[in-house]
Amino acid sequence: MAELYAVRNLRLCTKDCLCLYVCPTGATDTEDSIIDRNKCVGCGACANACPSAAISMVPKVMPPQQPKEERVAEALRSLIRSKTQAENLAAQLPGALAAAAARSSRLMAEDLCRESGYMLPQSEEARVFLERLRTYPGIPLEVVEGLLNTLPFPEKRDRK
Amino acid sequence: MKQMVCSVCSYTYDESKGIPEAGIAPGTRWEDLPEGWRCPWCGASKDMFREKAEAPAPAPEPPQMPAQEPGGEWQLSALELSVICSNLARGCEKQYLPEQEKGFRELAEFFRARSVPAPDAGTQALLQLVERDLSSGYPYAHTAAGEAADRGALRALTWSEKVTRMLQNLLSRYEKEGEAMLEHTGVYVCSVCGFVYVGDAPPSICPVCKVPGWKFEQAGKGA
Ligand code: SF4
Ligand code: SF4
Ligand SMILES: [Zn+2]
Ligand SMILES: [Zn+2]
Repeated sequence: MAELYAVRNLRLCTKDCLCLYVCPTGATDTEDSIIDRNKCVGCGACANACPSAAISMVPKVMPPQQPKEERVAEALRSLIRSKTQAENLAAQLPGALAAAAARSSRLMAEDLCRESGYMLPQSEEARVFLERLRTYPGIPLEVVEGLLNTLPFPEKRDRK
Repeated sequence: MKQMVCSVCSYTYDESKGIPEAGIAPGTRWEDLPEGWRCPWCGASKDMFREKAEAPAPAPEPPQMPAQEPGGEWQLSALELSVICSNLARGCEKQYLPEQEKGFRELAEFFRARSVPAPDAGTQALLQLVERDLSSGYPYAHTAAGEAADRGALRALTWSEKVTRMLQNLLSRYEKEGEAMLEHTGVYVCSVCGFVYVGDAPPSICPVCKVPGWKFEQAGKGA
């Protein structure tokens, strides 16, 4: 059984505060409204009690990503390159439409990127990507290391 | 009597029905709608509509992947690396991992700052890119994803192809009409699929990905 923890959607939360009463560990009561992951034992009481469906139970370790066929990934990458070129061009042009085109191109590229093998931040693919970034000239290494150390990569366990 | 389908959002204009609530009587022929008429859902102009066909014509030739310049030592340009990072930041945001989101955003900004400006920036160059995507990039990718039965990829391709078609429509209008096209009106971007809408207020739902209107952002005026 996958271990779970609770996350709260701040946009949906109506501050009815039932989750404060039912949580056995006080994990839901925090100054920034983000449920304290270290205290949460994954019992699900808060998610069941929330009248606004603002709490989701999420597995601590995510399943591996869906495999991608190389031909599909390659076709997506080609479009992603095109979208980044479009963003680059649009970012240099004046006016609201150009700003919208730049933003739109970025959003499309991100969505295509997600489908080309980078769906999950805590996936093997993302881990390999981050490790590769270590050698990129000028990269803020502490940021890369921070991500490598704090993201719960599922494969981490198997490798040990 | 024919039916005309919007290639961006699939809105269908049925000549036999007209649009009585907009003062277009039943039986009004497509040709008789004014030139400036726009799709009531997404704002696309008349030339983005296709006649509803019995069966779609099969593509005459298997589409080819457009040639791209190689990306250098890293295979990926700085902006492509930035996209991977900002996409992973969104993945963290959805999972309420604020620290990791911040980390990926920082990396995305690092790479964005390293991108080299394009030498020949202009609406024309932008339109050319958009048109290349529509004529070869999307047909090729659709075929590849269809053959692999990759429905996730097909979903992303379907959305972004529609968004790209709308961009083509808006950019070619802009080429003709210039800034006048945007006077006294706003430009809005769907923060989920990237759909661009020109109008006084964002649509109540996104005509491409169907999220509610509050997911739209206004694009910076003159920024
Ligand atoms: S029970 Fe739900 S709505 Fe109420 S405070 Fe908790 S998360 Fe918010
Ligand atoms: S899942 Fe249980 S322990 Fe975790 S926050 Fe909710 S009520 Fe508290
Ligand atoms: Zn439409
Ligand atoms: Zn949308």
